[in-house]
Amino acid sequence: MSDKNMSHHISNYRNVFIYLLIGTALTVGASYFDFNISNSMAGAIFVGLVIASIKGYLVAANFMHLNSEKKMILWILLLTVILLLPLLFIPVMWDINNMGNH
Amino acid sequence: MNDNSHHDENFWKKYIFSTDHKVIGIQYGITALIFLFFGFSLMMIMRWQLAYPDTAVPFVGGLVKWLATLNGFASDGNLPSDLYNVFGAMHGTIMIFLGVVPLIVGAFGNYLVPLQIGAPDMAFPKLNMASYWVYFIGGIVMFISFFLPGGAANSGWTSYPPLSDIATIGQTYWLIGMVFLITSSLLGSMNIIVTIIQLRAEGMTWMRLPFFVWSQLVTSFLLVLAFPPLEAAGIFQLMDRVFGTSFFLPSGLVVGGEALNVSGGGSPLLWQHLFWFLAHPEVYVLILPGMGILAEIISNNTRKPIWGYRSLVYSAAFLGFMSFLVWAHHMFLTGMGQAMSMFFQTTTMIISVPSVIILTCFMLSLWGGSIRFNTPMLFALGWMPMFGIGGLTGLPLGLSTPDIHLHDTYYVIGHFHYVVAPGTIFAIFAGIYYWFPKITGKMLNERLGKTHFYFSFLFMNGVFWPMFIQGLAGVSRRLADGGASYAHAQGVLQYNEIMSYSAWLLAIAQLPFIYNLIITIRKKRQENPDPNPWNATTVEWTDTTSPPLGHGNFEKAPIVHRGPYEYSVPGETNDFTPQTQN
Amino acid sequence: MEIPYNVETRDDTGLYNAKLGIWLFLASEVMLFGGLFSAYILLRTGAPIWPPIGEYGSILHMLIETVPHATFNTIILILSSVTMVMAWVSLKQKDIKKYKVYLGITIVCAIVFLIVKYFEYSHKIHEGFIPSHDTYMALYFTLTGLHGLHIIGGIVVLAYLWGPGIKMWDSEPERFTNRIEVAGLYWHFVDLVWIFLFPTLYLLN
Repeated sequence: MSDKNMSHHISNYRNVFIYLLIGTALTVGASYFDFNISNSMAGAIFVGLVIASIKGYLVAANFMHLNSEKKMILWILLLTVILLLPLLFIPVMWDINNMGNH
Repeated sequence: MNDNSHHDENFWKKYIFSTDHKVIGIQYGITALIFLFFGFSLMMIMRWQLAYPDTAVPFVGGLVKWLATLNGFASDGNLPSDLYNVFGAMHGTIMIFLGVVPLIVGAFGNYLVPLQIGAPDMAFPKLNMASYWVYFIGGIVMFISFFLPGGAANSGWTSYPPLSDIATIGQTYWLIGMVFLITSSLLGSMNIIVTIIQLRAEGMTWMRLPFFVWSQLVTSFLLVLAFPPLEAAGIFQLMDRVFGTSFFLPSGLVVGGEALNVSGGGSPLLWQHLFWFLAHPEVYVLILPGMGILAEIISNNTRKPIWGYRSLVYSAAFLGFMSFLVWAHHMFLTGMGQAMSMFFQTTTMIISVPSVIILTCFMLSLWGGSIRFNTPMLFALGWMPMFGIGGLTGLPLGLSTPDIHLHDTYYVIGHFHYVVAPGTIFAIFAGIYYWFPKITGKMLNERLGKTHFYFSFLFMNGVFWPMFIQGLAGVSRRLADGGASYAHAQGVLQYNEIMSYSAWLLAIAQLPFIYNLIITIRKKRQENPDPNPWNATTVEWTDTTSPPLGHGNFEKAPIVHRGPYEYSVPGETNDFTPQTQN
Repeated sequence: MEIPYNVETRDDTGLYNAKLGIWLFLASEVMLFGGLFSAYILLRTGAPIWPPIGEYGSILHMLIETVPHATFNTIILILSSVTMVMAWVSLKQKDIKKYKVYLGITIVCAIVFLIVKYFEYSHKIHEGFIPSHDTYMALYFTLTGLHGLHIIGGIVVLAYLWGPGIKMWDSEPERFTNRIEVAGLYWHFVDLVWIFLFPTLYLLN
């Protein structure tokens, strides 16, 4: 790989590092913030997880090179995430009797 | 890899710590067959207790008494109920995790996949060797657990808490053993996936792969993605048992009249979710490679392409995907809400479709075929109605309403044994008879093989059919007295004796097979054995010797020109056209 | 016959074997930590209050105290991820000395992470907040403990690639670079898990 390519990569890594640090600061700050809604805890959880997801995406896309990765890998990861979702959410939805408005 | 060194390999490097997939496949095969025999023996002793409760077991009564005493249970040569529970839990565990899966994935998968795709070995040979030895250690841990105070695990192969959380030390060994077995499985399945994706020979496109390879690919994906939640659950249960946590212990639990001194706040249901998230895909792990084996054998012995190759491939892939979405049909009676119940019922009904498609393709493959009734084909033919019965009897279990009556009864045991016993074992036998000449350069004796088949078929049905009758009458599973102390079971108790004799006769029916293996292995191999005695089309038969060459398998890399089932192609001289023929 | 695509990529997939292998392993790890998170969600939503109150009271005040340590650990791990990818970049630039520096920093960061963890654990245990105290502590020790085991495993592999394993750079530099890429993928994943563990365990209470 040419040096010019690499320096583009390197500046990208540096920028991502800064974004991650900012994200960390935001996450910590958000945990102290009193969301002015009825369920402040839910608000904090939502914001915290959103920021964590963004940070995770930055690591995966840039450090793990997923934004330039081959289709085979991306499909395998997509399959994994799809199969992960029932595992995360079905147990918690155990007692639901009805889906919908009735 | 430098080939000069292998001529000077010492015994240890060549046979014990080999990185050659064929040697590792045989290692898996031998170890798994021994565990299958061991697991079957446990059941034979249990069947004595079920037929003649609390009487001394003949022949091995002394051994049973010795083991019971070692574990701290009273015995006069009979199988006490505590030890019955141990045998029951370990029978399931051993058959599934130490027997069938290592055999169909570790042995058949490892041995055949590189050969069928035209590769010199698996993608990661050292990892392959490691995965065998980790399996071996897991097996040792499970075996040792029998000799502990309190015996081996005794809370069912499903290890439900709270019972398993407070069970004797054997359960901890079970958990540790499972960690090893899961690790072995993960390493092995990653290897298979990379091998199939990356090491296919030139011209071996996806749709030219033998269905056996497709079945191994889907199975390996199931193993990679479904096992880890069970590993997580195993870690949680180890934490509960060793560090006193309450992952699975609810608040206010009372044991033996006393409140348990734990923090509580846990959920027994959590274990069930994590366990069945694996264990449902696991049953497709059990059956899919077998289906792969049968596709090869049926096509070869009808001298026709397998009917519906694309349907088979798409069905296998769809089956694999859906298998992750049905797990809670094992939990219909846990108080789930209606929406959940409806969801899982629906997915369960949907998942029966691809299985039926696969069975139908096999049956349609027979139409107009020149059927050769050799031993592998007999097992394949016998498989079809057996798997059909197993599948059909699953339907009332998959619907939540009839499941209320049938859950945890002998009906369930009958259902899953039809799919697993004649289901996987007949496929395994078919595969052993079929590929034995490739592995050893010698054919197994046909007359002994046919005897093995007919009597196995007869007695399999004798053991498992009456279970549906007992289950419909309401006889619960895991009862050490076979239902004798329950009024509702009195009308069906006579089947216990019938099933037990069938089980023992089934064991005797395996003797021709064992004898066959011994005399054929001891027979001297001919100078240049026919590398393709079945006149098959796939690469393992046409491009390498019997047994295949040492490291590297092929003199030169095979080049594939057509699909895997080109039998009776119009205009060709032979009734089979090899994949690699120019 | 040699096993192909150990170093060069296969045309139709564009991958070398180990890269596919490590991503499959990471997929299984996603499911493993997914199972752990699923347990967390179930136990938390089922609890009347969170964190639960055990024999020695609620962990809440101590959690708030340890936020700075965990934040520091988060930053250290993110830094180690950057230096890890820079180690790979150094090999791409054929600079073996820079590689050793960056990888060395990565390993040091990992060890610092573990040291801070050690102090966190011993402080909690000292106060009686052991895993059996309540379900939060059970989850905390199990999840961070398993994550910590992954860090230790990573340190072992990275130390090997920093020390004795570096010999491969002389004989097969491309294969060695691939090894660092693959080890890096594992390391970034360990960082990624922490990015989710940190808010879940420390902040959302």
